Amino acid sequence: MSTFSSQVTTNDDIEGVKTYVMPTGAKDVVTISGSMLGGSVHCAKTNSKTAALVTSMLDKGTEKKDKYEISETLESVGAELSFSSTRYHTHFTGFCLKNNLGTVISLLSEQLMMPSFSSRELSTLQSRICGNLERDKENTKTLAMIHFLRTLFPSNHPNYRETVDDSISLVNKITKEDLFAFHKQQYGLGSIKIAAAGDINPEDFNGRMHESIRDWSSKKTEIPRLVEKAREPKEGNQIIKVQDKTSADLFIGQSIGIDREHKDYYALMLGVYILGGNFSARLMQTVRDKQGLTYGIGSSISGVSFGADGYWSIWGTFSPDIIKKGVASTKEQIDLWFNKGVTEDELSAKKTTISGSYKVSMDSTAGLAAKILSNAEQGRNLSYLDEYPKIIKSVSLSEVNRAIKKYVNPNKLYMVSAGTL
Amino acid sequence: MSPKNNNKFTGYDFVKESAGIEEYTLVKNSLRVLVLEDHSAPVATFMVTYHVGSRNEAIGYTGSTHLLEHLMFKGSRNFNKEKNTAIWTELQNIGAQINATTWNDRTNYFEVVPSEHLDKAIAIEADRMRYAFLKDEDRQPEMTVVRNEFERGENSPFDVLDKNIWATAYQAHPYHHSTIGWRSDIENVSTERLKNFYDTYYWPNNATVTVIGDFNKKDALGSINKYFSEHSKSNEPIQPVYTDEPEQEGPRRIIVKRTGQTGIVGVAHKAPKGLHEDTYAFQVLAKILADGKTSRLNKLIIDEGLATSIFMYDFPFLDNGLFITYAFLTPGTDHKKIEEIIIKEYNNILENGVSDDEIKRAQAQIRAMVAFSRDGTYAVASALNEAIAIGDWTFYTNFMENINKVKVEKIKEVIKKHFTEDQSTTGWFIAKEPKD
Repeated sequence: MSTFSSQVTTNDDIEGVKTYVMPTGAKDVVTISGSMLGGSVHCAKTNSKTAALVTSMLDKGTEKKDKYEISETLESVGAELSFSSTRYHTHFTGFCLKNNLGTVISLLSEQLMMPSFSSRELSTLQSRICGNLERDKENTKTLAMIHFLRTLFPSNHPNYRETVDDSISLVNKITKEDLFAFHKQQYGLGSIKIAAAGDINPEDFNGRMHESIRDWSSKKTEIPRLVEKAREPKEGNQIIKVQDKTSADLFIGQSIGIDREHKDYYALMLGVYILGGNFSARLMQTVRDKQGLTYGIGSSISGVSFGADGYWSIWGTFSPDIIKKGVASTKEQIDLWFNKGVTEDELSAKKTTISGSYKVSMDSTAGLAAKILSNAEQGRNLSYLDEYPKIIKSVSLSEVNRAIKKYVNPNKLYMVSAGTL
Repeated sequence: MSPKNNNKFTGYDFVKESAGIEEYTLVKNSLRVLVLEDHSAPVATFMVTYHVGSRNEAIGYTGSTHLLEHLMFKGSRNFNKEKNTAIWTELQNIGAQINATTWNDRTNYFEVVPSEHLDKAIAIEADRMRYAFLKDEDRQPEMTVVRNEFERGENSPFDVLDKNIWATAYQAHPYHHSTIGWRSDIENVSTERLKNFYDTYYWPNNATVTVIGDFNKKDALGSINKYFSEHSKSNEPIQPVYTDEPEQEGPRRIIVKRTGQTGIVGVAHKAPKGLHEDTYAFQVLAKILADGKTSRLNKLIIDEGLATSIFMYDFPFLDNGLFITYAFLTPGTDHKKIEEIIIKEYNNILENGVSDDEIKRAQAQIRAMVAFSRDGTYAVASALNEAIAIGDWTFYTNFMENINKVKVEKIKEVIKKHFTEDQSTTGWFIAKEPKD
């Protein structure tokens, strides 16, 4: 099998834009995934929702087209363009037939470069977003997660989350001027990365893309330095009461104090994966498969990108009647995992899982484009995608068990559950 | 029609070919096999679709198809914990994506594997087709797992409203109950009854296997023959469901009140069987009504800030289904107002029709959707799975051709025929204030 990196054509002819194009055997279809720096961490300290509202307004009209003309252009050829924001990035994704690539690229650049930010559209959007946020007030998973992250991280940390009420208040405060100011501050050439996969010619794609955005102004932007790390782990237990819910959500975990670049990251990640990374991991095999206490439970490491110190957590759902049993069983697994460590067989199995998953993830153009973009955002060379299985393979059993001992403290776990409890 | 390549393979009868997909019958036991070679990526998808779903259930054992699907992962003759060859472990350790789903008309089990492991996926599925353990000691803990799945669904106001609309619209036909079943049936159905269900429906002559991706066709068919040929046909013919829904003779309404934040409105009308020619007009109509910002209901409801989103439920089933417009209201929006807007727009189409441009736009949207349904081996298998469920896998390969035949007159005809008040079921989810 040829290497991943050998199948991707990269181009950085325009300063501030790097493209990654991967022709595949897919017939007629093309997926585009791109991003630039411009997420909630780049918002003015008073309103972290600005980035999200800017992206939500990009399909509501440009200086040249109203929202119906934009939609008409896309829908008439069955194409889709969508925009979103994360803590660090503004993302854009496009799906189209190969013959419509030019139309989509042209529209994409217009929407990114010259949004109109109409007051009326902003007002309607605010009403819709707040409607969705109101619905979050009855979402047991969302409520538990927000509380969990607010406890682990201080308010100026990228992993912190606002309450639902705070979010509603912030969304309602945003003005048209705020949108223009953020757009002026973040949107432009500088940190743009675009991955495209499918029935596509790299030269053709780059030519069209360059033509569309070459005149865009440059923006010097970077990810802000972390000013404060996570709070020290401490034991705690919080119950959030939500009425008329037949299932409760549970989060257990703690901050780990390291990011994805730390030398112990892979060892800890493998350890947490063995605990609850998939169905054949310990938590699903015991708490679900053997004991029947939950439909789903798993563990993962999150919030470790771009220099942020992250956290490990377990998430599961339980009937309110048996959540105590579920918690006891989960804690028993954590203790066993921490005290006795993982085995060579478990580690070996997870290594082959990751190696096989790598191939399976190449099954669609969307999967490929997302994988390439994520790698690029992390500032890694394409060769990393080929090296990743080897990196995982090189992690030893003693490194994994040492990392679990070093970064997990079963006596300082924070637990939050939400439901009719 | 014969495929371009040699279609003679030991143990098989060639049946037909459509859009590159070939159908064979395994002579020994009438297992239907669909094959599509695609070497785009080093991946293959293997899927078994059993022609059994919640439509084959009745009161007392609703949810059985789904509970049985869960038990099918608990072990079989050659793949089990005792032998250290448990299904999840065997497959996840090689990086496979593996799962199963149950719906009204079918149950499917699938594996997306690095192509060198295709043989293992075939061996596992063949083994559990007739040799699943289905032990009572496994059912007991799995019942509470499924009950938690049910409970998670009940947390969602949308899921609750949807169940109530179907239960109100369908009174005799088993689409009355949702696939997950009623809570008391999930809790009380016996292992014996599940085994009986398995022994009635899990046979090669009641299944279609689909294999898509990076393999040599001869080798893959050889492997399927090797593993599945050990099974005979079912001893008894598979009995069809014969319950027809009586004609609805007036509009029906259902209101669900629960603690919550915002309301939902669902307006449903009876839809024809999936293979009926009107299905294609329904698909086009759904796009015109609610797909994209230029769609009619989007302009009338979303753009006016009356709802946060609209969702069209337009899935074709083996039997008659429902065409439902769902609107998720913004705080303060009146349910009645939304219901009236939806009905008024249906009437508007009845009186004034739709435009050629609207149809062309809908067809373009569906054309792209169909193209993306070929993006990846799992995507193809998944789309075929739903076509198999409604009774003809070429529904998938001929879909676009049939969509292209839909004209302005047909949309009007469909609205007139199916969107009558007497055939409607309207549901409201009303959010109650939390108690102090």
